[in-house]
Amino acid sequence: MAAYIIRRLIWTVPVVLLVILMTFGLMKQIEGNPFRQTERAVPAAVQANLERKFHLDKPWYVQYGNYVKGVATGDLGPSLVLRDRTVNDIVKEQFPNSIELGLLAFGWAVLLGVPAGVLAALKPNSRFDYGAMLFSNIGFALPNFLVATLLIYFVSVKWGLLPTSGWTTWQHKILPSFTLGLVPMAYFARLVRGTMLETLQQDYVRTARAKGLRRRRIVTVHVLRNSLIPVVTAAAPLLGYIITGSFIVENIFAVPGIGRYYVTAVSARDYSVVMGLTVLLSIIVIFANLVVDILYTVLDPRTREART
Amino acid sequence: MSATQIAGRIAGVDAGAPIRQSSLWQDAWRRYLRNRGAVAAAAVFLLMVVWCVVTPIVSPHDPNEVDFASAYEGPSWSHPFGTDQFGRDLFTRAALGGRISIGIGFAATFAILGIGVVYGAISGFVGGALDNALMRFLDALYGLPYLPFAILALAIIGTVDFWTMVVALSIASWFITARVVRGQIITLKENDYVRAAKAVGVRWYGVLGRHLLPNTLGVLVITIFLELPGVILGEAFLSFLGLGISPPDASWGSMAQDGRDSYRAHPHIIVIPSLCIAALVLCANFIADGLRDALDPRTKET
Repeated sequence: MAAYIIRRLIWTVPVVLLVILMTFGLMKQIEGNPFRQTERAVPAAVQANLERKFHLDKPWYVQYGNYVKGVATGDLGPSLVLRDRTVNDIVKEQFPNSIELGLLAFGWAVLLGVPAGVLAALKPNSRFDYGAMLFSNIGFALPNFLVATLLIYFVSVKWGLLPTSGWTTWQHKILPSFTLGLVPMAYFARLVRGTMLETLQQDYVRTARAKGLRRRRIVTVHVLRNSLIPVVTAAAPLLGYIITGSFIVENIFAVPGIGRYYVTAVSARDYSVVMGLTVLLSIIVIFANLVVDILYTVLDPRTREART
Repeated sequence: MSATQIAGRIAGVDAGAPIRQSSLWQDAWRRYLRNRGAVAAAAVFLLMVVWCVVTPIVSPHDPNEVDFASAYEGPSWSHPFGTDQFGRDLFTRAALGGRISIGIGFAATFAILGIGVVYGAISGFVGGALDNALMRFLDALYGLPYLPFAILALAIIGTVDFWTMVVALSIASWFITARVVRGQIITLKENDYVRAAKAVGVRWYGVLGRHLLPNTLGVLVITIFLELPGVILGEAFLSFLGLGISPPDASWGSMAQDGRDSYRAHPHIIVIPSLCIAALVLCANFIADGLRDALDPRTKET
């Protein structure tokens, strides 16, 4: 297992380098230069100075090397549009909000999705089961901007229970996190139901039943523990969902987070910010995958042999 | 006694009776038809496609005709879905937007399938160190959010139209398909008929093109409907953020964006295109489930 973990760790390095290279290559292709955007023509000397300051006059591989060095030391460079801010400043300011939103969304999903899946599996084909699966199907299908709009329309505007947008008090955080948590919730309900049903068929469950253990004990000790492993593994792909969803949700609810800022930065042609945020998000996902893969090996001994 | 007769004898079937021949696809079709939910979903899906294709041709309203006198109308007989802020008929416009949304959806799905098949087939067929490297790469990228990369791709191309949207939406969405195809190829490679083909001297492209790839077709058909919802939602997200399809063209996402500011007074403008997306995605998910049960009964969910 140690060999697997080490190999997995080593593989992360070239992948991160490649993702940075891809992002970097993509950014190089973009037409236009932020310094040529101003209505006033900048004198040629100033232009040259600016390009020198941001190393835009160097060949691409030098720029890439510098950038990787920066990322490795946790420096994502200056913002090209906001003269007095660095990408790090923006990350420091906006990222905690996005993390909080993501964690709260995940919390909703675990809090409501997992129990729904468990209860549905314990009584398959019951009314509750059908209801939960219908809800799960609808949760997958509704675009989150519709969910957000309907929640604002009813909860905030019609009933006046919660604020429509912003990110200050806990009341502000309920609707955005719930909206963002809906897809993970639907996913968990479905996943847990499936794995629970599968685990309930296992021989060791039959043995436990045969030796007269109480149903409650069988479910909590034998079934639940083994059924929840996929919830851990699902966390990594769901992170992708949450990041994608946060672009929309932060936009609608005016949450000052990375997702909303990303769109602003693209429109402002603030390339260093766009690149920094893309690299940051990618690295987070890559490391989440790493952690999940390792956790999976630890949690489920059956996978160890197959993976070494 | 022939092999089939022996098999019949073992299975307790009268060996003399003719054995009903049916191909995998016929079997799958029959199994699919038995699944009522999946059949209903397929029917609704087809109906929506037909509606999108036909309505703009036969509709008495021009979907781009501005008529401020009848702006913000609710549903009525002449405008079943009402009108938007410019007085455009939403029934016709939603069908027009559906053409673009569904069109981009299918085009991007096929692009994803194309990349995934090439990557997965190379990885699975060549095997060894290359397979290992390609798969470790996928392991690490698994779950990479497609939206930032789609936005980047659009920013690079500079213009937003049908085909650039297809490129943007497929560029970072093919990882799962590649992995699925690779898994299929690896499993199929172990089959005796593949070994036999190799043993009698079939070249590698013959093995791949004749014995391996055609057998991944079932999985690919399922994958179409597994990927389609994500792509259609992705298009909607981009257009909703104002980074995708823009006026005078319409997609369901851009129509939803049109209704964003007036949701308090006129919620129908955002709700109608969103529900179109939801209905299509829901159907695609049900079709994918039905296809999976029909084509691969072993993995049938209990």
